[in-house]
Amino acid sequence: MPKIPRIIIYVLMIGGCFALIPPLVFARMRATPSPNAPIHIFWDMDLQPKYKTQTPNPLFADQRSMRPLVQGAVARGESYVDTHLYEGVVNGQWATTLPASISLDETTLNRGQQRFNIYCSACHGYAGFGDGAVNQRAMELVANANGPVNGTQWVAAKSLHDDTTRNQPMGQLFNTVTHGIRNMAGYGSQISVPDRWAVVAYVKALQFSQDAGSAGAQVAGASN
Amino acid sequence: MSRFLFPRWSNALLPFVLIVGAIAPLYVSLLVAYGFSPKTLDGQYQPEQPVPYSHALHVGKLGLDCRYCHNTVETASHAAVPPTQTCMNCHTQIHKDSPRLAPVRESYETGMPIEWIKVHKLGDYAYFNHAAHVTRGVSCVECHGRVDQMEVVHRAQPLAMGWCLDCHRNPVDHVRPPEEVFAIWKPTDTWTKDERLELIKKNNIHPNEYCSTCHR
Repeated sequence: MPKIPRIIIYVLMIGGCFALIPPLVFARMRATPSPNAPIHIFWDMDLQPKYKTQTPNPLFADQRSMRPLVQGAVARGESYVDTHLYEGVVNGQWATTLPASISLDETTLNRGQQRFNIYCSACHGYAGFGDGAVNQRAMELVANANGPVNGTQWVAAKSLHDDTTRNQPMGQLFNTVTHGIRNMAGYGSQISVPDRWAVVAYVKALQFSQDAGSAGAQVAGASN
Repeated sequence: MSRFLFPRWSNALLPFVLIVGAIAPLYVSLLVAYGFSPKTLDGQYQPEQPVPYSHALHVGKLGLDCRYCHNTVETASHAAVPPTQTCMNCHTQIHKDSPRLAPVRESYETGMPIEWIKVHKLGDYAYFNHAAHVTRGVSCVECHGRVDQMEVVHRAQPLAMGWCLDCHRNPVDHVRPPEEVFAIWKPTDTWTKDERLELIKKNNIHPNEYCSTCHR
């Protein structure tokens, strides 16, 4: 039988190699992060002319489809008449108790601990000594040998066990959580009102745990 | 016009042609199935964001909880991308002159939103509810991967319907105690299969496959 010409064999071999390229390309697309937008072959109704949460809307100058509240708008059910609940103020003085709608029980304290660990511990530390990871990093950035990195300025986060902070009434703590103080930003928009009171209750418990003294020890002993 | 005759050597190719002819349809169908799968087409989408925010630093190193920024996730269907104010809680002081934070400062001053690019986008006909999942014990990591290790966020899972159904049909490999949902560094097999089966019973997890569950 006559020999197959070399050229035909080469063409077939090269063709076989080319057949490996598409699977390799697909395998790479699967395995490596890529800035290319996902490829849509079947569009179906993937992109509908409607606006969902946090989608942009070109009709407005700021592109927000979720419109910011008009100044002074009050949502239904949030009349802010109860100054104890919303501002921590009773008769012009900082409240020293929780509002009537917040009960001091294990559920509230657990919730307060959870929220404290999410929002407060970053700077104040899990035990409230002002030694959170963000605080530590900020201190490192300030102490950099070539001067503070990118103009970082930082006043060490407060220990919640200082005499001044420990003696603050609950209403004042609530106000600080809500509106912030000095360099601390307010967390009113991030933490709901009942959760802020839960945080305050938990902070009070934390403070008590570090300042139980003999009276506290007796209470603890009595409950055992 | 003379008749075309295959050269004699072509007889030697005949078995080869038959084999290729048999394999080719298989090759093409496998290629389409593999290549047109959402796992390939959606890939690991990793857009460049207007601010090079690093989850690896903020979550992995500094230990910020997911909810510090995405604070609607437990109560709303949508896990909010945080407002500029959340960035500025710290960045009014930390790295306050960094050129990389310029868009954040500009947004803070002008009130115009930062145009973050959505990475995990579902079809507009799919209504995924974050709160329903995270409060019942489906961790962030099941869909978003180890975000705490990502310098730049990319898609870790295809987010395709078949992939959703895999879990809806067999949730046992993807549940954990609800209080551990945000501990994304803990693998799901931290809890034994028996413990997870118990959780499914205890938390009444019965994901269904009705069309209207996700398409409304």
